Amino acid sequence: MSDAILTFDDVTVQFGGVRACDSISGRVERGSLFALIGPNGAGKTTLVNTISGVYKPLPGAQVQFHPQGEPTEDLLAYRPFQIARLGVARTFQNLGLFMGENVLTNLLLGRYIHEHTRLIEGGLFTRRAVKRELAARQAIERVVDLLDLGAFRRDSVGDLPYGVQKRIEFGRVLAMEPELLMLDEPMAGMSVDEKQDMIRYIYAAQDELDMTVFLIEHDMGVVMSIADHVMVLDFGQKIAEGTPAEMQQDERVIAAYLGTEMVEN
Amino acid sequence: MTAVENPAPRQEEAQTYRPSTLQRFLPFIIAAAVPFILGSTTGDLNFWWKASITVVVLAVVARLAWKWTPRGELTHREDMRLWRTPSDRSWAALTMFGLLVLPFILASDFTPPMGFPWATWFAVVNLVLIFAMGAAAFNLLVGYSGQISLAHVAFLALGSIVGGIVGVQWSGGNMWYALPAAAVAGAVVGAISGLPALRLKHLYLLLATFGFHFVMMLVWREYLQEYFGFVGIRFKGENSPRIASWLHWLPGIDPDQNGEFVITGQFRWYWVLMPITVLSILFMVNVVRTREGRAFAAVRDRDVSASLLGINVARSKLFAFALSSAIVSMSGVLASFYIGSRGEDSFNVQTVLNYAIIIVVGGFSSIQGAIFGSAFFWFLPEWFKWAREELWFVRDIDFLSDYPSEIDLAIKGFLVVVILMFKPDGLAGLWRDFKSWFSRALARSNP
Repeated sequence: MSDAILTFDDVTVQFGGVRACDSISGRVERGSLFALIGPNGAGKTTLVNTISGVYKPLPGAQVQFHPQGEPTEDLLAYRPFQIARLGVARTFQNLGLFMGENVLTNLLLGRYIHEHTRLIEGGLFTRRAVKRELAARQAIERVVDLLDLGAFRRDSVGDLPYGVQKRIEFGRVLAMEPELLMLDEPMAGMSVDEKQDMIRYIYAAQDELDMTVFLIEHDMGVVMSIADHVMVLDFGQKIAEGTPAEMQQDERVIAAYLGTEMVEN
Repeated sequence: MTAVENPAPRQEEAQTYRPSTLQRFLPFIIAAAVPFILGSTTGDLNFWWKASITVVVLAVVARLAWKWTPRGELTHREDMRLWRTPSDRSWAALTMFGLLVLPFILASDFTPPMGFPWATWFAVVNLVLIFAMGAAAFNLLVGYSGQISLAHVAFLALGSIVGGIVGVQWSGGNMWYALPAAAVAGAVVGAISGLPALRLKHLYLLLATFGFHFVMMLVWREYLQEYFGFVGIRFKGENSPRIASWLHWLPGIDPDQNGEFVITGQFRWYWVLMPITVLSILFMVNVVRTREGRAFAAVRDRDVSASLLGINVARSKLFAFALSSAIVSMSGVLASFYIGSRGEDSFNVQTVLNYAIIIVVGGFSSIQGAIFGSAFFWFLPEWFKWAREELWFVRDIDFLSDYPSEIDLAIKGFLVVVILMFKPDGLAGLWRDFKSWFSRALARSNP
């Protein structure tokens, strides 16, 4: 058995008469960069939502998380906040930031699961609460340095440009120090430069912070250059899986995703 | 990412001037000394002299506080301070000073010109203190945590019930037992009243909590009729709170003839209400700027996003309800003992609306706004009354004198609309604008 961090089996999610995911199975290797691609409406985000506990799949599905050195957890038995505490963090396609709060507060919310200050301790502002608050801020500083967010610490998130907001959300999941990092289109709507920066940040997260990355992305160029393993969805079904090079040759993938003119060639 | 106990200052190369501890606190020591110095020279100086000396001293203090503050990037420990910037610190010192001096001024025999309503102000100030505490807790729940609740007055009634049971029936006028008991009861009942929030949002939650209001009114009426009859509970006279005899050695506590120190009269009440209000507001401010308070805001803005950060949304909502209700219940106990009696019609729906006016005018989701709002709410009628009686161009308008309370309400309602339209962050927002203008002006003069 090779070392998998996440295995999911027979995941079916149904909304009314629509099968957003139809019995999808797969595994994510520890330390790898797993990319999930597919056209719009293919069920990519639905799959991520199922893994992070927001949607419940039909019975028969299995989603298992294998944390390093800990017993395997069945994620379907947990609620979203418990899954986050187990070490599975995710970002949102259309940003899950708290727009009225400043950057520091948003990043500190990423430390919520690691801080342990209770309500009354916080209210009394005890010495221990101060110590923990400082520790959380210190942990944030590393993320701030990594993502070059230093200039924005006290700015309200809603006032910042979109590219920076994407970076802040990425920083917030990094601050959670998850084992499995799920990024839902982190590069959507970015310029080429910003995309390259983001790729750099993802590599840094993977190498320096020792995380496994589960990436949803539309930009084929990006996926082909950085992913270790690619899974392709179309209309809720898995149509192919393999290395990026294999996917570029796969006819079903080309037909479904890359465009028909390549088939004609 | 290992936790480091005390982070190293960032940008040490900035070479900022670091004041010593004594220098840091010197302005506050001077500010604290001013009332004592002035108090000892009562004979020769009149009020205006004292006032001008105070203003000059405070201006110097503010100038020094500004000068002795490190510039450049803050360390995290500095950034976490409640009063971060020099202007914050000057304002805090001013407020502290004001709170300490105010009762002495109000208790003096000073009479301002034109019959300005000085004499009634002491009672108004004490009411503002009680209302500020309740409104801040209300704002913490409604504004900051986003849980729209109308059960506010229900918890004032709960405070009166606990005050009646623990403070009057069990201990014969011991408010000091009733306060913590009300906090505990408020937290428990508040968490229960928050249960609908786990399923409902916005308007539906508002209706559910409004139902809770009527349940509590029923409990209040039953309790009154069971033990007190229609006259209501008497919290004054033999039930007035007093300072225990073993505390009579404290400075400023001179027992009366019968060897008791009864808390009665505006001056004594001020020294009970002011510290309790200040401490409870500080408590809420601290909650808001630490872990659980951040979670409150996160749940308000996007609950799905919050739950994926590991926040237990249900628990966070119940905590917000429990904290808010505990403090509101305590303010209910204080209000009962301060006002002196609570009867069947002491609690009504109008009061909920009054609190809503306070937090909207003061500034939604701002604890500071609750203070401004309640000051506005209580001082406006006073000023209006004064204007009606003394100002020559208002005095002759019969219409205004015929319907005083209706016009009060109309002004308040009009201001709510104006503020919602033009300044949604209320008086607190105006205050922030003024402060930033002030510090910019200061910075321009100190390049």
